Amino acid sequence: MTWDSFIYFSLGSLLLWGVSDISAYVSRKKIIPLLISTAGLILFGLFIAGLWISLERPPLRTMGETRLWYSFFLPLAGLLTYLRWDYKWILPFTTLLSAVFIIINITNPDIHNKALMPALQSPWFAPHVIIYMFSYALLGAVTLVAVYYLVKGEKLENTTKIMIMADNMVYAGIACVTLGMLMGALWAKEAWGHYWSWDPKETWAAATWLGYLIYIHYRLKKRSSNKTSMIILIIAFILLQICWYGVNYLPSAQQSIHTYS
Amino acid sequence: MNNSSRKVWESPWGYPEGFIVATGVVLAGILLQLTSGKLNPDLYAYPVNIIIGALFVIGLLTIHFIYKKSRIVRWLSTVYSTLPAIALLLVLCIKLGLIPQLPVTADESQLPFDLFSYLGWYQMTTSWPFVLTCFYLLIILGFTTLRRTGRKQSWRDIGFYLNHLGLFIALLGGILGSADLERLTMTVSEGNVEWRGTTHRGDVVEMPLAIQLDSFIIEEYEPKLVLIDTQTGRILPDTRPESYMYEGIGKKTQLAGIYLEITDYLPHAAVFRDSIHSNIVPMQMEGAATALKVKATYESTAQPVEGWISNGSYIFPHSTLQVDENRSLAMPPQEVKRYSSHVTLYTDEGNTEKAVIEVNKPLSVNNWMIYQYSYDDSKGKYSDTSVFELVYDPWLKFIYIGIAMLLAGAIYLFVAGPKTDNLIEEKIVEERQSQS
Ligand code: HEM
Repeated sequence: MTWDSFIYFSLGSLLLWGVSDISAYVSRKKIIPLLISTAGLILFGLFIAGLWISLERPPLRTMGETRLWYSFFLPLAGLLTYLRWDYKWILPFTTLLSAVFIIINITNPDIHNKALMPALQSPWFAPHVIIYMFSYALLGAVTLVAVYYLVKGEKLENTTKIMIMADNMVYAGIACVTLGMLMGALWAKEAWGHYWSWDPKETWAAATWLGYLIYIHYRLKKRSSNKTSMIILIIAFILLQICWYGVNYLPSAQQSIHTYS
Repeated sequence: MNNSSRKVWESPWGYPEGFIVATGVVLAGILLQLTSGKLNPDLYAYPVNIIIGALFVIGLLTIHFIYKKSRIVRWLSTVYSTLPAIALLLVLCIKLGLIPQLPVTADESQLPFDLFSYLGWYQMTTSWPFVLTCFYLLIILGFTTLRRTGRKQSWRDIGFYLNHLGLFIALLGGILGSADLERLTMTVSEGNVEWRGTTHRGDVVEMPLAIQLDSFIIEEYEPKLVLIDTQTGRILPDTRPESYMYEGIGKKTQLAGIYLEITDYLPHAAVFRDSIHSNIVPMQMEGAATALKVKATYESTAQPVEGWISNGSYIFPHSTLQVDENRSLAMPPQEVKRYSSHVTLYTDEGNTEKAVIEVNKPLSVNNWMIYQYSYDDSKGKYSDTSVFELVYDPWLKFIYIGIAMLLAGAIYLFVAGPKTDNLIEEKIVEERQSQS
């Protein structure tokens, strides 16, 4: 499997996810969107697996390859949120966001070859990146919730339920961010001799982590404002964007050891 | 924030006091920075760091047990002091992430002559505001954890202790341990024994161990072909450079609009070049180059060109194949797949050990870790020299304990989720009822 077939798999998956989103609005049962969405995920998963086999390494090295995982995990996060909390709108939003990343990958693929530099050849590589991508998808989904909340404003009913949903997603998200970050630290010790060097990528990972810690602790007080909580979520997600790809454009990143072309 | 009629400094303290105290911490840090310059890690190297650590922990415990009813100590274990403190660290992290940093070891003469230098912003992690903020957070973390032990314990507390105590241990250990961290490089050539390391300052010191390099091996990926602009040397197409990795003789492919057929492959070749021709012959010897024979067709030229392409070596020149006036096929240096050193290790105690050291597979001896660091670039895969990095970090155990607790705490958070208060459940029921 090569990138040439990406367009068929990804458009096929997008079609399935789109149909699933519509069916969530039309049908009363959750099983129908669940089945169609899952079919889309399997189709997309097959492409990732095929690419992994043909590259003879996990497809996690380039930006394009991580976008691949992101496009996969977003609809998954949306589906889980829908199944657990009943919000239908999260489905089309996550599908749309996933579509954006798929289109970027179709129009602007990176150069992909088999070479994997020695420092990346580690058992930590796959779990570290995959868990980060999963957390990014989850936190992306909760950012959609935050924007939705702020846009709808006072018109929303049952705000407590939305806040509990956001809390749940952030707890799962920050748990994964923490796991990803610490696996990164253990790996760095093995590969570069030190677990934490305040390299720009690491610094922004810490900033992101602190951003979500602020949310968690702020929410512990019953009197905290919902609006402020949602704004914290949006700021934290901006920090996450800088950590993910924004650092590559910062002056400080010239010294980073974590940028791979 | 909780009772708006309250004035600042009137108890109970809330967020405003939190922000004021956090600002005070930064101001104190700036003052120290301006008066005494950056923090020099050598000042708190062993045994000073152990003493500081012990005093800090004993101090927290003592204050907790004597003054736990005091308003300030109580406030120091609430979200009201926590949030501004985390926010402050976040601001410092953002600055750290934006401003290019200089090595901690760079001294004043190497820093630019500007305000940022005075404030320590080019060496943020050893600047006083940064270190004081970390300690302020540690104080809050410590009191929060201690206060929690005074409550009736439940299952939820396990997650709390794992996260907060774990972070306390990792953070304190990381800060104090940074003074004892040593990193040296050692360059050894095949067949020789080396026991001297070079510090980052360039000083040569004798090590408690010696390394004998028995052999050094580099494995490379298959060679790649690229199409380059002969004038500029840039890889084409300009917008998205393409490359083709060798997959076998007889393979056909398309590279940046050129049709290619691989007609021959020599993993060990000698390249001879006179003014017009390159002549390539098989040759098994040290310094041999990799070469590919390629037939290239460009749509408008009816006649395909065929010839050898090689990336050369430290002995032989590289060789390209001209496709048309402006474009040539070339072979960039092969990417390294693996490099490893087979070594015999001798320690002070008289132990001998044979081992293989490679990237991501360091060797651990006593408190030292030995890393495969580099090799002789100029000779590429024929390098007979290996460079090791030796890292000494006696505090690593603490860090690993802290990290292990944080990992368990994260799994706990994932599984348990947020605290769902009865109060919140009631609120939902109320809202539901008011809707129907
Ligand atoms: C940066 C340093 C930190 C400080 C100063 C801090 C401080 C606090 C404080 C004051 C509380 C309220 C405690 C109580 O009411 O009993 C709290 C609760 C909590 N913190 Fe932290 N914390 C820190 C780091 C973390 C980290 C790293 C995590 C997890 C990744 C975390 C997750 C939590 C959770 C989940 C609670 C609620 C615990 C519960 O009631 O079950 N905190 N923290």
